[in-house]
Amino acid sequence: MAAVSPARANALLLGVMTFAQLLLIAASVRGSMAASAVAAVVGASSRPVVAPERSVSGILLDVVHFFRDVHADETENVKLKLEATRLSGELERTSELAQENTRLRRLLGMHENLAPQSIGASVVTARLAGQSRVILVDRGAADGVRPDMAVVAWGGAVGRVVSVEKGFARVRLLSDPNSGASGVIARSRAEGMIVGRGGEPMEMVYVPKYSDVVVGDRVVTSGLDGVFPRGFGIGRVTVVGEPVGASKSIRLEPEVDDRAVEDVLILLEPSGTKLLAPDEPEARP
Amino acid sequence: MIVLWAVMGIGLSLAFELVLGRFAPGATRYVTLMTLPLVAYALRTSQRSAMAVGCASGLLEDYWIEPRLFGLNGLVKTLLGWALGGVGAQFDLNNFWGRFASGASVSLVDEGLQTALRRLFGEIVAPVGVASLGIRAVAGGLLTAAVLAIVSRFGASRRTTRQKHRKA
Repeated sequence: MAAVSPARANALLLGVMTFAQLLLIAASVRGSMAASAVAAVVGASSRPVVAPERSVSGILLDVVHFFRDVHADETENVKLKLEATRLSGELERTSELAQENTRLRRLLGMHENLAPQSIGASVVTARLAGQSRVILVDRGAADGVRPDMAVVAWGGAVGRVVSVEKGFARVRLLSDPNSGASGVIARSRAEGMIVGRGGEPMEMVYVPKYSDVVVGDRVVTSGLDGVFPRGFGIGRVTVVGEPVGASKSIRLEPEVDDRAVEDVLILLEPSGTKLLAPDEPEARP
Repeated sequence: MIVLWAVMGIGLSLAFELVLGRFAPGATRYVTLMTLPLVAYALRTSQRSAMAVGCASGLLEDYWIEPRLFGLNGLVKTLLGWALGGVGAQFDLNNFWGRFASGASVSLVDEGLQTALRRLFGEIVAPVGVASLGIRAVAGGLLTAAVLAIVSRFGASRRTTRQKHRKA
């Protein structure tokens, strides 16, 4: 029998590996158990590396935060204290308004979860590539995190959970090209869909061309996508271009900088607003 | 021994990749550390080991930071290992410019193949800017050249120490 040349053997091996990995990708797209099993094996094999990395990163992060705190400007502290005093007054006023809002909503036969149940999480790592923008957070299935939960940070919406392991979850950021959220212009209430464009500014699409939108308008979540409760900041309009077909071409500057996200909140309940079912008892004020 | 070094190289790359994502997430747009073991094995050993190392490092990358298509990076890096291993067997690329060119081309082809495969599997892909690709190529090339130079220096010093011990 003639011996197979190394080049031919390698080409054959490449063919087998390519075929097997294409099957693996197809299985993961379909959510097959086989893909999950392979992923579990790969994950288990990398744990001895990742556990020490997390400890060392944690220590490094503490050191960085310590020095940042030590060198914090004194005037900045004074400014923050004044801001905190102002905000506490504002909070009281908001609380009054919230109560009034609740009473009025009950009168209208509607119910709103003003403060959805949430869980805090820290960002373990991030990948902000052009085609895939993901963060990894240190809360997972064991903490009640499930796919499609909304993730927010100080300032606004961050993204949604796409997959969950026992101790961590992968969150696809709003700036990912495969992300989408329903948004509304806070001033004029013009609705549209927010889509990510990788490293480029996000875009708001399906906004009717006769809508009132100007540069500087704030865009918030509308709550219509069933993931984000309404009212979370998404971004500010930076460009209002010529209409394409029946819709305006709008670019947004994100309210939350993907590169600066360290801690997030995972909302454990779906979108905040729901209409009362006819048989649901209506709370009386 | 070669397997042990490969495991160590892949483990270190993964650890640094996760650290980079935590402390400088913006840099992950231009730099992928998981290609380093692949290039090292393609230039220094055989095509087959480059494919195996590429496959392993790609699958690890998929597990930790790929949201949907598990196996995508594994496939891309296996193909890169095969291609660069083949070129590495024909030419001596184990010098500064060879390493730089290998790192730069691997970074570019990695991005291109990933974009094509994402599209194939029904994902929406963002337009890729020329400037971004240029930065990616230069960053990948310099990083590869620097890391492989350090690895070579380390390997050379280990060999010298071993020879001294033998003589003694």
